[in-house]
Amino acid sequence: MGRQAMPTGALQEFLRKETERILGACTKCGKCFEACPMTRYSPQLPGADSKAVATGVLGLLSGGEGSPEALAWASVCVRSGSCVPACPDNVDPKMMMRIARMIASGGLGGPRRIPVRDDRDYFDRVRAFANLQLTEDEIRDWM
Amino acid sequence: MSEKIIFWYGCNVLRHGDIIHSCLDILRLLGIDARPAGGPDYCCGSVKDANQAAADGMARRTVTKFNDLHRARVVAWCPSCHAHMNGFMGQAYRPEFGLTYFVDTLYEHRAALSALLKHPVPMRILLHKHLGFNDKVAVNARVPELLRLIPGVEVVEDGYAAPGYMCASLSSVPAAMEDMIRETLRLVAVHRADAVVTVYHQCYRELCGLEPHANTKTFNYVQLLAQSMGLQYEDEYKAWKKAGPNAGAVIGKKRIEQVGVQFFERALLPELVKRPLGLDPKPRSDPNEGSVTGDG
Repeated sequence: MGRQAMPTGALQEFLRKETERILGACTKCGKCFEACPMTRYSPQLPGADSKAVATGVLGLLSGGEGSPEALAWASVCVRSGSCVPACPDNVDPKMMMRIARMIASGGLGGPRRIPVRDDRDYFDRVRAFANLQLTEDEIRDWM
Repeated sequence: MSEKIIFWYGCNVLRHGDIIHSCLDILRLLGIDARPAGGPDYCCGSVKDANQAAADGMARRTVTKFNDLHRARVVAWCPSCHAHMNGFMGQAYRPEFGLTYFVDTLYEHRAALSALLKHPVPMRILLHKHLGFNDKVAVNARVPELLRLIPGVEVVEDGYAAPGYMCASLSSVPAAMEDMIRETLRLVAVHRADAVVTVYHQCYRELCGLEPHANTKTFNYVQLLAQSMGLQYEDEYKAWKKAGPNAGAVIGKKRIEQVGVQFFERALLPELVKRPLGLDPKPRSDPNEGSVTGDG
């Protein structure tokens, strides 16, 4: 008997549930922000109130606009993960910031609030490098 | 009986055919039956954070394609693919396979791997590390262990790890990229290292430009394993980076025409010419200085 095809939309549903979990678990202590090695790369963030920044991120996750500091933090997050062990409530702040970035970049349907690099050649560039380095058989059988 | 796996190499490592071919040879020599899969049709979708409708479709498509290959294990080369499968795709859809990172597969087979590393590679190495992903797979400890299996290799002890998953993530924060490059070069000098060695392909893409532009040798760790095993795949990407504005001549007219001359000049050449951020100003005699200015 064949497998049933998986209906699309499950990833967005997973993100919605993760967002709910994070909103329920985070106590806005700001330890994640304090542990981040990237905050010094945004002029808005050094000296910012960590609790207020965390509150701004949760505002973004709950459908609000997010504070300027929350958006600035989302802009420089590169998934270092230093926030994860700093969190006393097992929120997984790396996931929190990933979803915040998705929202802030317009990935879940809202407006784009942070700069996003649109690389129209991304996949064509990958294919071109493959054409330069792999044989026709390898491209047919591996890609 | 050999284990049958899918070797999920990802997308961007397709710049480095020698790395893909070496990985496949290494797996074969370790007695593993690897079915390669990668490129845009197997993309994890992590590059589509700004379009989750697209990312969702890509996640479903890729999990389904792997399920249909009926192999019990997927071995991932790319840390972003690995993390995205574990953290997102595999949570949303129903993978019918286990997932292992390539470094862990080598580590699991390190006794057999050691026996294959016969040719000395005399080199004092600074391993280029990142903070991200190390919480998923202990790459920052395991890759040095693997490299030390190579006769002649010395890995210097250094605690620096750059922010992010791979260097590519720093491209959105140029000041962080500049700091990472400067710190890497400083550590090469402090430790009197012969070369910088990367774990990830995206770091290699960024850092191999140090060879023509900062006189600092750069390798990916798989290239050194391959060298010690006697595998001989040419590192064409590095040769193109060294050629800079003359990369087209090195690649050759026929291959350039295969990808399209205009596309090559617009989308590939700027990357090959690009100078790593954070270096001192170019000397006037820089042989790689060309009219194409790079993409950032």
